[in-house]
Amino acid sequence: MRGCESSRRFSAALGFLVAQLLCAAGVRASGSPIPHGTLELVAENRWVTPGHGFSLGLHFQLERGWHIYWVNPGDSGEPPRVAWQLPPGLSPGAIKWPTPRRLGTSSIVDFGYEDTVTLIVPVHAETSLAAQPLAHIGAEIKVLVCREICIPGKTQLSLTLPIKSQLPAPDVRTRELFAAARKDLPRPAPQNWKFSVDDAKDSFVLAANVGPQITRAIFFPLAEAQIDNSAPQILQPQPSGFRLTLRKSDRLLKPIERLKGVLVLTADRAYVIDVPLSRASAARNGHGTGIHPAQSLEEESQR
Amino acid sequence: MKRSTPYPMLVALVICATPLLISAAKVGQAAPDFTATASNGKTFRLNDYRGKYVVLEWHNNGCPYVGKHYKSGNMQRLQKEWTGRGVVWFTIISSAPGKQGYVTASEENQYLAKMQAAPTAALLDPTGEIGHLYDAKTSPQMVVINLEGTVIYDGAIDDKPTTDLSDVAGATNYVTLALEQAMAGKQVETPATRPYGCSVKYSGSTH
Repeated sequence: MRGCESSRRFSAALGFLVAQLLCAAGVRASGSPIPHGTLELVAENRWVTPGHGFSLGLHFQLERGWHIYWVNPGDSGEPPRVAWQLPPGLSPGAIKWPTPRRLGTSSIVDFGYEDTVTLIVPVHAETSLAAQPLAHIGAEIKVLVCREICIPGKTQLSLTLPIKSQLPAPDVRTRELFAAARKDLPRPAPQNWKFSVDDAKDSFVLAANVGPQITRAIFFPLAEAQIDNSAPQILQPQPSGFRLTLRKSDRLLKPIERLKGVLVLTADRAYVIDVPLSRASAARNGHGTGIHPAQSLEEESQR
Repeated sequence: MKRSTPYPMLVALVICATPLLISAAKVGQAAPDFTATASNGKTFRLNDYRGKYVVLEWHNNGCPYVGKHYKSGNMQRLQKEWTGRGVVWFTIISSAPGKQGYVTASEENQYLAKMQAAPTAALLDPTGEIGHLYDAKTSPQMVVINLEGTVIYDGAIDDKPTTDLSDVAGATNYVTLALEQAMAGKQVETPATRPYGCSVKYSGSTH
């Protein structure tokens, strides 16, 4: 804008206004600022159809090296939290958490996302919505963004969608974003796969019979303080699967009944698993629940 | 390597056994002893305080979770209340030099004065030795040690793992619960939780 330098103040102001209008007319808003990144609220469909559920997305774009957290953040940090402001007739479901990554060093390991990530939130739309022309959707998001240090952020997002009786139609502007986000979601483990978990004193041993030999497996626990997040997960490939030894957390003081989480295998294929402890283990330890987690785990992955 | 000697085997055994010998603090077990220099220049040894309850508070003055408890006055209130009741309260700073929260003794003394903090002492642990001894993951992670020197609580300060000052008021404080229950001769109901907050900024930490 060097040419503008000599312009009068009036035309500079006019130019600013035009620039703002151009931005507003853009294909998709660039997102609201959060610490070291942006966050955008997007819809998968062009309008809301009463009686038809639809998906919203929280699209995070982070500066290089910064991360946010999974539903179980691991040793430190905190997952993003959303407070929805929705018109009567719309109700939000639980966040669908994409497969996380292990972040951190030898003694402290967190679970989260770097670069870009989209959290999909299914929304239920009741038939009673039909009486209104527009759905004003608001969301207040609290998010902790970390690299070496952590910065809490808070932002208010909004989106207005028409309400139409026509069948839902996907929004071409967000199609790729939602397709990519769905690819990052862990899938239910195939029915014919067999899992078992044994309580082996200081460890849980997750055994899997999945057909071929498995040479890479990482487990992400859904519950906090079940396994030692920073301990190496020891994989023993088996002819038709694997055995994975997970060191128990020092803060696990009572027996657990189930091991729930996300299992990432070769080629980044991720599966949701929920395996009861084998009866022999359960009998040895008696029944009980895990320790009091410091926060609720209601918003777990949808399966 | 001489095959005839049994030493390599012995050495291997010792190496394998070492991590077990220095295993971190665990609820229900003896609190590992340590000696540290405080920001006031005095030396403190944990085992000198047998017969008293001891609270360990992991601290990092740049961490927003720690900030929540200091800006709200919650931490200072707890320090005053419990040291007033004979509890020994050690604030421990395990940030490595150059990392967030690292302070010199005089910087820490200024901070304590400015915040009107009232721990028994603020212990400087720039090597992270005490932090690792207790497997401290976060600030503010809290540990409570009973009269016999046994760890009776290890984990979060309370049940609201957020940075919001407004969350302090309604929170259940696990340190208060542990001390009150132990002093009443009861079993500590919640002896361990996930210690929320910022990761402890040890040397080599990247997040």
